[in-house]
Amino acid sequence: MHEENDSALIARAKKDREAFGLLYERYVGRIYNYIYYRTGDHQDAEDLTARTFYRALKHISGYVDRGAPFSAYLYRIAHNVVANWHRDTSRRQIISLDELVVGTLKREGPASLAEAREEQDLLLQVVRRLPPERQELLILKFVEHMRNAEIAAVMGRTEGAIKSLYHRTLVVLREELTHVQNGREEMTGRTGNG
Amino acid sequence: MDKRRVDEVLAAHAEKLIDQPEAIQQIDITDEERGRLAQLLQLAEWLQHSMQPVQPSADFVRSLGQELVDQAKRQMMLTQRLRRAVVIGAAALGSLLSIASVVGAIVFVVVRLRARAQARAIHAPTG
Repeated sequence: MHEENDSALIARAKKDREAFGLLYERYVGRIYNYIYYRTGDHQDAEDLTARTFYRALKHISGYVDRGAPFSAYLYRIAHNVVANWHRDTSRRQIISLDELVVGTLKREGPASLAEAREEQDLLLQVVRRLPPERQELLILKFVEHMRNAEIAAVMGRTEGAIKSLYHRTLVVLREELTHVQNGREEMTGRTGNG
Repeated sequence: MDKRRVDEVLAAHAEKLIDQPEAIQQIDITDEERGRLAQLLQLAEWLQHSMQPVQPSADFVRSLGQELVDQAKRQMMLTQRLRRAVVIGAAALGSLLSIASVVGAIVFVVVRLRARAQARAIHAPTG
């Protein structure tokens, strides 16, 4: 069956708001994923996803199609909703790298599958410490499987800028992880000696 | 290796990781480059492995969808009511203005006629 494209749906949603339901169905999964990886919690992801779509519904009549994909508009709203959430509730756990080290050491037990999970959690925690645009880039790339050109359209940048940002993001992430791992080794050494 | 080349190599590697064969640029990563960038390439692979898509619960998707449709209906009704109120208000204001202008015109004519009658009475020859 022919699927109505975003522009046609948006035009229809301005007059017939029920058409907004179709846009919602098309994008709810992506927005939820984006918010989940920014907050790390399913409950918060549900709450903020709802806020994002309520806000989009409220402002859909003023939406102007400037050639960027509609998802860019939704991601922008989601980005602002997450930023407000961090600011208003002060729930963003700004965990220092040292705290991350201690946290992972405490969790370390016998070698098990859980360790791999802990390593993964650690990586995601470090990702969440990155500036929002870098988190956005990683989510769009690895969770949404978007190509660089698509990410560029969503983030309003050139493809070259996205490639360069990706490179810088990997470098910073590696440095932060190395710092955490070094800290861990030092702590393990100290506890071993003492 | 210059920065631009590194950008390209990492970008191509990431495209390959997310299985976008049509998007893979014609870029061959040499063994030497792979060696130099091993840490970054491994990190990208770790990210790809760790950042798996998650699914919102079906209940949540369904209930939020319903709430949004309801909200959309309420918003439409509110807009229609507001529009109707504006039209009725404008019509009422127009009617009031018309009535006021008719009354004003009558008052004006009466005042003018009275003034003329008085002037005639004053200037009329006596005896």
